[in-house]
Amino acid sequence: MSSISVLNYKKQISFYIVASLLVGLISNVIRTDAIPWISPPLKVVENADDALLILSDPQIREINLDMAKSFHEKGLLFVDARAEEYLAEGMIPGAIANDDVGMLSEQIEYLLSGVEKGFVIYCSDDDCGSSEELAYELQDFGFMNIFVFTGGWKSWTEAGLDTEVHE
Amino acid sequence: MNKLQPYLIILIRILLGAIFIYASYDKILDPGKFARDIANYHIVPFGLENIIALIIPWLELLIGIGLIIGVMVDGAALISGGLLALFIVLIAQAILRGFDIECGCALKEGQLVGWDKILENLVFLGASFLVWQRQKKLLEIFPKTTLSD
Repeated sequence: MSSISVLNYKKQISFYIVASLLVGLISNVIRTDAIPWISPPLKVVENADDALLILSDPQIREINLDMAKSFHEKGLLFVDARAEEYLAEGMIPGAIANDDVGMLSEQIEYLLSGVEKGFVIYCSDDDCGSSEELAYELQDFGFMNIFVFTGGWKSWTEAGLDTEVHE
Repeated sequence: MNKLQPYLIILIRILLGAIFIYASYDKILDPGKFARDIANYHIVPFGLENIIALIIPWLELLIGIGLIIGVMVDGAALISGGLLALFIVLIAQAILRGFDIECGCALKEGQLVGWDKILENLVFLGASFLVWQRQKKLLEIFPKTTLSD
């Protein structure tokens, strides 16, 4: 391998990296659905009364176990974002689940008589990510007030709270 | 076999290139979703997943095109190998840490991380290596080669 050909690889790699850097950054400047350069963390809800607020702009916010408990007591709808095979072990009482996000959105809209009311999404634990993903997908369907319960199924069951098994 | 080898390499270049272009498509259309997929790996600090999600898909697209039309194939093959090696490490650490997350690396949306994804990426990594190690540079427009090269 000669030093010239090594230099050649380096130039080629640099070209590809610089070109994608430029195109990627410029495309985000000109596109209408640009994303922020740095990802902002979800806002954390600290007041249980936020559960019942009607918002003027769509929001996805985070709730912890205590807040999830209080939201559950207030009768908020819970949505289970875990894959179907995990649901057999049980769900948070009253929670609904559907792998088909279109059908799920219709279900939620029916149960809440619209898209304005808040509801909670959870998945298996702090690290699962599918609750946040589903929250963004459902936001695209027009839902205004979505809470992501970060501790999810794991923290709920570890706290010894009620669960129910669907037949 | 030796005579066929350059043609086999062209076939591999086209397939590998097509896979990268295909994989980049959804990510370019929805970088926000790709950024959240990256965030799920819990390895990128300071919210930098957005910047990465804006750049990587274009890199995949450009090397995909490069591999297919034969532009700077050495660089494209090396970046391809580097990206695949990185994906393998990321997926492996996610599995070992017990994360049940969407891969975000997938040819099929919604696929979860798993050892099958690692195997798939290992095959693509092998393909990248074969392209990089090719003896004859056939049908490459820059640096220029000819059919008799």
